[in-house]
Amino acid sequence: MQMGFYFNQELCWHCSACLVACKDWHDVPPGPGSYIRIAVIEKGKFPDVFMAAMFHTCYHCAEPACVEACPVEAITKREEDGIVVVDPEECLGMDNCGACKDQCPYGAPQSIDVEDAKMQKCDLCQDRLSAGKDPICVGACNTFAIAVGPLDELRKKYGDVRQAEGFEYDEALSPSIIFKPMIDKKNRTVQKTLMIPGGN
Amino acid sequence: MSKVESTEKVIKTICMDHCTTACMLQVYVKDGKVTRIETDDGSPGPQFRACVKGRSYRQMLYHPDRITYPLRRTGERGEGKFERISWDEALETVAAQLMRVKAIYGSRSNILLTSGGDFGYLHYGGLIDRALVKIGGYTGVQGTVSDKATEFAAKASFGTVHYMGASSRNNLLDSKLVIFWGFNGVVTKCFGGHTPSVFTKLKETGAKFFCVDPRYTETAAFLDAQWIPIKPATDAALAVAMAYVIIKENLQDQEFLDKYTVGFDEFKNYVLGQEDGIPKTPAWAEEITGVPADTIVMLANAYATIKPASIMDSFSPGRTAYGEQFNRTLHTLVAMTGNTGVSGGGGGCGGMTGWDPLRPLFLCNGAHVHMSGGNNPVDLASPLRKEDLEFQWAKRNPTFAMPEPGHYYFGGSTTAYLNRVRVADAILRGKAGGYPADYKLLFLVTINWLNQYGDVNKITQALKKLEFVVTIEQFMTATAKYADIILPHNTLLERNDLVTSPLMFTGYRTAVADSIGESKSMFEIAQGLASKLGVDDSMEESKSMFDKAEGPEPKVRSTGLLNTTEEYWLKQGADSLELDVETLKKDCIQRVPEDVPQKIVAFSGEINDPENFKFTTPSGKIEIYSQALADLENPGLPPIPKFIENWETKDDSLRTRYPLMLITTHFWRRTHGRFDNVPHCKELERQSVYMNSIDAEERGIKEGDMVRVFNDRGQTVVPASITEKIMPGVIDVPEGAWYDPDENGIDRGGCPNVLLSDIPSPGGGLCTNGALVQAEKA
Repeated sequence: MQMGFYFNQELCWHCSACLVACKDWHDVPPGPGSYIRIAVIEKGKFPDVFMAAMFHTCYHCAEPACVEACPVEAITKREEDGIVVVDPEECLGMDNCGACKDQCPYGAPQSIDVEDAKMQKCDLCQDRLSAGKDPICVGACNTFAIAVGPLDELRKKYGDVRQAEGFEYDEALSPSIIFKPMIDKKNRTVQKTLMIPGGN
Repeated sequence: MSKVESTEKVIKTICMDHCTTACMLQVYVKDGKVTRIETDDGSPGPQFRACVKGRSYRQMLYHPDRITYPLRRTGERGEGKFERISWDEALETVAAQLMRVKAIYGSRSNILLTSGGDFGYLHYGGLIDRALVKIGGYTGVQGTVSDKATEFAAKASFGTVHYMGASSRNNLLDSKLVIFWGFNGVVTKCFGGHTPSVFTKLKETGAKFFCVDPRYTETAAFLDAQWIPIKPATDAALAVAMAYVIIKENLQDQEFLDKYTVGFDEFKNYVLGQEDGIPKTPAWAEEITGVPADTIVMLANAYATIKPASIMDSFSPGRTAYGEQFNRTLHTLVAMTGNTGVSGGGGGCGGMTGWDPLRPLFLCNGAHVHMSGGNNPVDLASPLRKEDLEFQWAKRNPTFAMPEPGHYYFGGSTTAYLNRVRVADAILRGKAGGYPADYKLLFLVTINWLNQYGDVNKITQALKKLEFVVTIEQFMTATAKYADIILPHNTLLERNDLVTSPLMFTGYRTAVADSIGESKSMFEIAQGLASKLGVDDSMEESKSMFDKAEGPEPKVRSTGLLNTTEEYWLKQGADSLELDVETLKKDCIQRVPEDVPQKIVAFSGEINDPENFKFTTPSGKIEIYSQALADLENPGLPPIPKFIENWETKDDSLRTRYPLMLITTHFWRRTHGRFDNVPHCKELERQSVYMNSIDAEERGIKEGDMVRVFNDRGQTVVPASITEKIMPGVIDVPEGAWYDPDENGIDRGGCPNVLLSDIPSPGGGLCTNGALVQAEKA
């Protein structure tokens, strides 16, 4: 079984309640390190513009690049639900290594602002899942744009759209996320992408 | 790795920190310490899910910068040097200063200036008013900085300020066309926490959406609206030109106008140019607004022919030089198209969410008046102010003696009251400047005045001039640095209170933690102050203004403070809603039952049953022409709505030196000045000046460059965010960033209010949009 995300891009305006809820739940200190990042994509030239937001986190790929990259096998993909987890005891630390971060095209591995930071990232709130609750981001979303569940069930319910504005589906890695994408009918040129958190 | 532990308690409470959008927090507490926060899991019924601000409230609660004990100033005003003192000494000092100023100069010389913050039904500035009215009163402030122009216009057109004449938000679901006019509702939610959920449904209705705004907003993107960029402070010109098109093409609903309005012919004469020789054509408006004439023709045609159509505006176009004219022209357009009193229609009401008869304790309505002292002796001794329309109507129709939302802060309508926007001017000029008194003492309650009002540098001068300044605060804000005494206030997570949200629910706010340090709730502070003032604080029975309007039998109302408890008041509040306080406490949220009508259509009675429901204007109709306005003989407040050009853009010299128009929008990660110091919020997006690439290129400014934004009033240095989502010639420095002057007095915090004027619109509103500025690479 593979757990995954559904993200309704049409309903996301980058409010970032998911991101802050995640930081609060996992005690992630202030700083650029964040399991969830939101990209605000701006396209076109005045006055013909387009705006979309993209939800970035660990997509728990079927063939995760980070697992391959880790020199000490600190990152594993769980058999039972496909969640990719990191063992902080084994991890060499982001200052010493960071190979996972270099290989992940989605920027999921995070360096948190603490001394001798081990790699941290979304683990789909294992603590909450095992208590029968949704990950914290799902219930945080003000517009109900995020769902988490077995990927095949999500596909049955929401379809199997694998592309969205600001997202490239990597066939080799097979990230576990599907979308209701926001569509730029005029295919305008990207002018700017603002990442949240974006610092002070 | 965090675990869901059985030793943790989960306490439900209500977040609402100056935002008018109450949400549920489920707060995890372990060993008396808040560990993390969940929000509403909402089954059944609508959910009240918290935003980034509610989700980061743990950092507000445990913020290292919280003021945790009373402070006395030791350095110069503004220097920020303080020493710790006891509560006893602090309150004694404040009481002694209040009595000293009263004895020497009279009660009028004491000013009470309060605002929002993380208030509720019980704990808010009205409790300080309760103490001060007992020592002879004080000079209060009138109006709000949010919506004065909208309020004024609603009084003139409809004879009411009940939610400015707004319908409930779900009316939009019946609209076939919606013009979002300066309204970024998906972000601000403005008085309706359910706005995003309504908008989610609205996306599916197939209605046509327009966004009239200097910015391409998140709301425009969310609803795939057609963007019509417009220059700030010119909105009335667009509306007038739309009226021109509608009249020329004979699309107006003449029958509706004849039946329900007065003065359309006068307006028509103005629009067609018969009054002043200038036909208000789309070409005329194009030059003023920057909106192409053919777009105006298209918009007018669509608006007049697709019905019902709603104009979903905000207060912000009204917060301009002649802001009242914006709302008045919209009221007229709405009536011209027969959209008044119709579900899916409406407009010009400033983004309010229609009034809910089931929730009379709505925080901005009865609640504030309910807890405030009333009968301020200073007020009672003063004549009425001529320009205030409301009091004229109040005399005519007792219903309007009822406190209305415009009276959030127990403001009155007599000459004793200062316009909220002009407090600094009053302090600086006093009697010599035509004010009723010389002002000596300022009592600030949960307000970062210097940061959030017009003309920071002028307010700084006023703060230096006063004999005594006291503030009730949580943080060392720019304003608090000027206080002589700071009384530490606790946060909403440390108090019990009631909170109500329009149309949605009543909530019980449960304290989840003890007050940090020696900080106290407003009730505790007010009790302590009343005790030191030695006021006669016996329980009195009196008619509440609120009750008087509600029914023939006045309820008993207590004005005591010392002999009452928090529990007493919370029970009173719940009782008045016919709710059991214990049940409410247990459930946290009382959701509006499903069998209750969920939709309110403003003026449906006046339109559908005019025999029984008359507009409460002098004529009993919608007043496109207002005799009450004509009687004011103020060219800035003409009897019919008109476009009047911003006094700044009219000045050639100003326009040459300061070619950019400034807007100061609500920033998504703050509520005004609140949360700007909360790390999980602050890091989301940095404070910036947003400018179009055309303006940036002209000035050699690149993304992230530090930019000096300035005019004659002040300057601020802030990084550039270059975007196509704002029209050229307009820049946005979002309001609420904390003023942070360097050693040369130049603001490095990106506070746009250093650039704003304190000259109000003729109706009394703060002009937050449309100031002229220049920008250059710093």
